[in-house]
Amino acid sequence: MSKNAFRVISTALLLSLALSVGGCAKAQKPPVTATYLSQQVADPLEPMNRAIFGFNDVVDQALIEPLAKGYVALLPQFMRDAVRNFMRNLQAPVDVANDLLQGRFNNAGVATARFVINSTVGIAGLVDVAAKKDLKYKDEDFGQTLASWGVGNGFYLVLPIIGPSTLRDATGTFADAYADPVRMWSYNTHRYWVYYTREAIQGLDTRSRLLKPVDDMRKNSLDYYAAARSAYIQHRNAVIRTNAPAATAPASAPEQGLGSDHP
Amino acid sequence: MIKTLSGCSLLVAAFCTAFLSFSVPAAATVQIVSPTEFVQHLGDTALMSLTSKHLSRKTREERVRKILEDNFDVTAIGRFAIGPYWRTATDAQRADYMKLFEDLIVETYTNRFEAYSGQTLKVSGARASGRDDYIVESRVIQKDAAPIGLEWRVRKEDGHLRIVDVIVAGVSMSFTQRADFMSVIQNEGGLNGLIASLQKRHEESQRNGG
Repeated sequence: MSKNAFRVISTALLLSLALSVGGCAKAQKPPVTATYLSQQVADPLEPMNRAIFGFNDVVDQALIEPLAKGYVALLPQFMRDAVRNFMRNLQAPVDVANDLLQGRFNNAGVATARFVINSTVGIAGLVDVAAKKDLKYKDEDFGQTLASWGVGNGFYLVLPIIGPSTLRDATGTFADAYADPVRMWSYNTHRYWVYYTREAIQGLDTRSRLLKPVDDMRKNSLDYYAAARSAYIQHRNAVIRTNAPAATAPASAPEQGLGSDHP
Repeated sequence: MIKTLSGCSLLVAAFCTAFLSFSVPAAATVQIVSPTEFVQHLGDTALMSLTSKHLSRKTREERVRKILEDNFDVTAIGRFAIGPYWRTATDAQRADYMKLFEDLIVETYTNRFEAYSGQTLKVSGARASGRDDYIVESRVIQKDAAPIGLEWRVRKEDGHLRIVDVIVAGVSMSFTQRADFMSVIQNEGGLNGLIASLQKRHEESQRNGG
């Protein structure tokens, strides 16, 4: 994708998101214990989403899943962990930026310290030394930042190859990619292969950690699409609840575990 | 760009492993224990009695069913999975659905336990949730993969503790199953469509596994 294409797509997504904030995407803080209703997402594009989901599943079974299995068979756990640590370290500037945008300065400090320690003592990020010093990794992205500003999911989206997302999270994905120093450097120096190789390895690493769960859901659900949509939304809500709760919400909402909210 | 995906994926990742630590046999006669002890005992017993490679399909299935019936509130989980459709279902539909629902759970977990070995469950604590529920926190320790956090929703009913939900990386099995079933009900012609899908799934499982 060219730089201009990126700009156009991210601008379009941001614009549509801005438009939706007033309407459907009103801030809705999930309670500490989520209820079934709080875990729903609108899916007005379901026919299109189902088609892309089906396409992704075919590509996954034909290509990505076999590659991920080969990767796991080839490399022992500690080497795969080193790959993940290296990838996370490259993303650290994006994490810091999102922490700052959320006003979480303490987290930004932790992420910065992690970056400095792991890039040096941790041998260019291959070893997560900082985690042993109680500087724990925290996954941050612009989708979470938007959520902390009170932006809701908008609606469910399945992106080609990338997979389940929402209007908000897809916007975040493009914004993070846009601000990603690795992408900037590789585009500015016309070493596009660096960025795409990084993306491919990162995708492989992610997929390799999901071999069992994805296989399980594919086999054991009646409607794989509906099960995956529910799982994605529940997981994102949980990540946001712990990492980036909306600033306006009380620190700890009362638990809602009564009545028909749960089995 | 893959970042968002990786976030979402961790969640799903925990999915299959979530189920591996499943149940406790023969706890029915045990005196009332704390929710943490209950889950720890369940995990230990299940992993010990269900993961052996030498078990026949039939034996493993029978053990899974026993553990499930003793330790899980299958009726509550099954009802919840079809939400408002339970109220309007006829007695015959309810009976058909419940039988097939339990078969589905038994077959699913039998498959999972066939595939797993070498895991242990470590319970770390519990917190109250709502009036009658506890959330028990635990971790599944694996040989060649990172540990997986697992939460159990345990309910006290008539002096017994029973599990009503398992939650992995923020993903509730009961919520996911309900989303799955509701979609089938809406797209495949109502509750009878769901019952037909479950029946078909059950027959396939009998052919392949049995």
